[in-house]
Amino acid sequence: MSNKAGVINGKEAFMLNIANRLGRKEPLKSAPTNPVQGVPDHYKAIDLNEQEKIELFVHNWTALSGQVLIVQRAEAKATIAAYLTKIIGELQVTAASLWEHVELLELGIEQQLQSMNINTVPWRVMAVQDTATDLTNNEQSNPTKWSARDKLLQATERCELGIVYPDYVIANTSTLVLQAGGGQGRSVSLLPSSLFAIFPAERLVTRMGEALQGIRDTHPLNIDYPSSVNMITGPSRSADIENDLTIGVHGPGKVYAIIIV
Amino acid sequence: MTTIKTNNKDKRSLIGSGLQQRTEDALADEFLRKAVAFTTDKLKNGRLNAMADIGDWEIWRERGRAIRENTISHLDYYLTQFADNVVNNGGNVHFCSKADDAVQAFLGIAKQHNAKLVAKGKSMVSEEIHLNHHLEEHGMEAIETDLGEYILQLAKETPSHLIIPAIHKNKQQIADLFTEDAGYALPAETKALATYAKTKLRNYFLESDIGLTGCNFGVAESGSISLVSNEGNGRMVTTLPKVHVVIMGMERLVPTFDDLEVMLNLLPRSATGQKLTTYISLITGPRKLKDLDGPEELHVIILDNGRSAQLGDPIFQEVLNCIRCAACLNVCPVYRHVGGHAYGSVYSGPIGAVLTPLIQQDMKEAGQLAYASSLCGACHEACPVKIPLHDMLVHLRHRKVRAKLTSLPERFAFRMYEFTFGRVTLYKVATKSAYYLLKPLSRKGLIHRAPFPLSGWTDSRTLPMKPKQSFRDRWSELQNELKGGMKDEQ
Repeated sequence: MSNKAGVINGKEAFMLNIANRLGRKEPLKSAPTNPVQGVPDHYKAIDLNEQEKIELFVHNWTALSGQVLIVQRAEAKATIAAYLTKIIGELQVTAASLWEHVELLELGIEQQLQSMNINTVPWRVMAVQDTATDLTNNEQSNPTKWSARDKLLQATERCELGIVYPDYVIANTSTLVLQAGGGQGRSVSLLPSSLFAIFPAERLVTRMGEALQGIRDTHPLNIDYPSSVNMITGPSRSADIENDLTIGVHGPGKVYAIIIV
Repeated sequence: MTTIKTNNKDKRSLIGSGLQQRTEDALADEFLRKAVAFTTDKLKNGRLNAMADIGDWEIWRERGRAIRENTISHLDYYLTQFADNVVNNGGNVHFCSKADDAVQAFLGIAKQHNAKLVAKGKSMVSEEIHLNHHLEEHGMEAIETDLGEYILQLAKETPSHLIIPAIHKNKQQIADLFTEDAGYALPAETKALATYAKTKLRNYFLESDIGLTGCNFGVAESGSISLVSNEGNGRMVTTLPKVHVVIMGMERLVPTFDDLEVMLNLLPRSATGQKLTTYISLITGPRKLKDLDGPEELHVIILDNGRSAQLGDPIFQEVLNCIRCAACLNVCPVYRHVGGHAYGSVYSGPIGAVLTPLIQQDMKEAGQLAYASSLCGACHEACPVKIPLHDMLVHLRHRKVRAKLTSLPERFAFRMYEFTFGRVTLYKVATKSAYYLLKPLSRKGLIHRAPFPLSGWTDSRTLPMKPKQSFRDRWSELQNELKGGMKDEQ
């Protein structure tokens, strides 16, 4: 669904000035014929098979301190459950948020979290009773702007683990590509301190351009692009204090990738 | 214990204090000089590794240059396409010619939402227009959320590097600033300091009314704003507050996603030596109807502020190709010695020396920056989009001379120089007398101290003594030697 169109202020004079400076009487109406576009041909021609893409992803992701688990499709449900249990124990997770995603549903992630007594926050409109319990648990003596915000957002902010199912994964940089929209909340990969991403090997692409092309192809109308596409390459980091590398500044500091083959 | 000399002056109003003074301040700051040299080396080596990693760097660079060139020379087309797509996706666009127009546009949005707290991602343009100062005046609080920028905000200083803004602050100074802010003692340890900032800033993210960011590249074909960051503050301020405002220079575009891929390969590699930054967000409009998070409103403020004056200029148009990676800072021998504050502008290093006088249209004060260069050309070599910065610096000096903005004695000196060097007899007399004039100052062939105007050189370096016999004197002798030598060989 598209948004109502916004407004533009001050375009005509601004654009006329640019056109004039560039030696035109009025702004250019037709697309320039691009002399070059996109990445160099030799780079575009790099063609990796699935095994090579997995290896490249694992190499890059672990170099950034990310963890990887490769699971067979037939055993995916049980193996991921066991791994998730281990991680939750290590990180002492009490609350987890996850995308409302058909693949995560099939893997039974939500039920598993609930069976472990983890406060589970799936990315969907919260039921009234959830909202009610949430309020009693977190009564504030002095209300803030944040306390008046959406309860789903507030609940997600209290989670220590976020679980997502990337739309694309770029092998040569080890980058998760997450499109926001519907059950795919952008907060899930941002607010918790650890990130758990599950994806099948066929979602791996070699380079960024393939993911961008995929997004373009699946949104043929210019008005329905996802409001946000986030590319995530490893943990949040900073070198702003005396060049010392600090991991986990605002975004997740621990990142896990589970590849289903 | 050694004490390290540092400079704690309020550096917000730098342009008033003069290039000479700022340079002397920087040179006197021992920690700054060491920190700048260390960081620039680290970033430079990272860049060299990242260039080798992708291979065929010259092909990438040329591609980057060609894309920027195409974008800028058809800016009217791409900017129209970009703005239309932002609007079609539900965002609002404000075109602003002058810095003050952009400030007013922002204040208008803030007023409409009764905003009190603005959480800022990294935005060079907001510093260019001194937005924080204006927000303060209107009773609003603006919080810098990039860790380095946050440190500087507490210290009331300006960035000294485009990528690592608090390059000149040591841990103890940061601990002191955070201790004062917290009201309890914080140790000078990176982990503890980062954790304090993280907790403090988290609350600002949650409570702010407006998230403000810059834009690394706008994508014309989709109307997307791309933002790169490592800490994740850019994502926070574009996810949590109900209103997102982007302030961007009008040149900050690429035509397509394909071109974006090229620029996103060039930018992090050139800036920090990373293959990719941790986060790259492509933001297209405010949240869509089915979304459960993200800002409800998106405003894109597109600023000219002296940029369009470079369009169509055969020499300076290319400065608009800059992608703000700071690779030119890291290789500049002058920047490495004085750091960013000496440039007295939000943009420092070679790119700052070119951009600042052009944007401020000020050849007199800011124009002095063109002399803060050895013209070695390392900046051009490092630039991922091949901007000939060293040539531009020469042209800026030329402009300054043409505008008669150099000092009267300097102009007189160069007249004399022209007159003397144009006449053989005068030239001979002048070079001979120079020897006798300098002789009393020389010890073992070197001049350590000399009166004005030579003191400009000898204050910081030794000058080799002029030999008694000049090259011209020796020429006939040399010619004979040369002939003799050639005969021997035959």
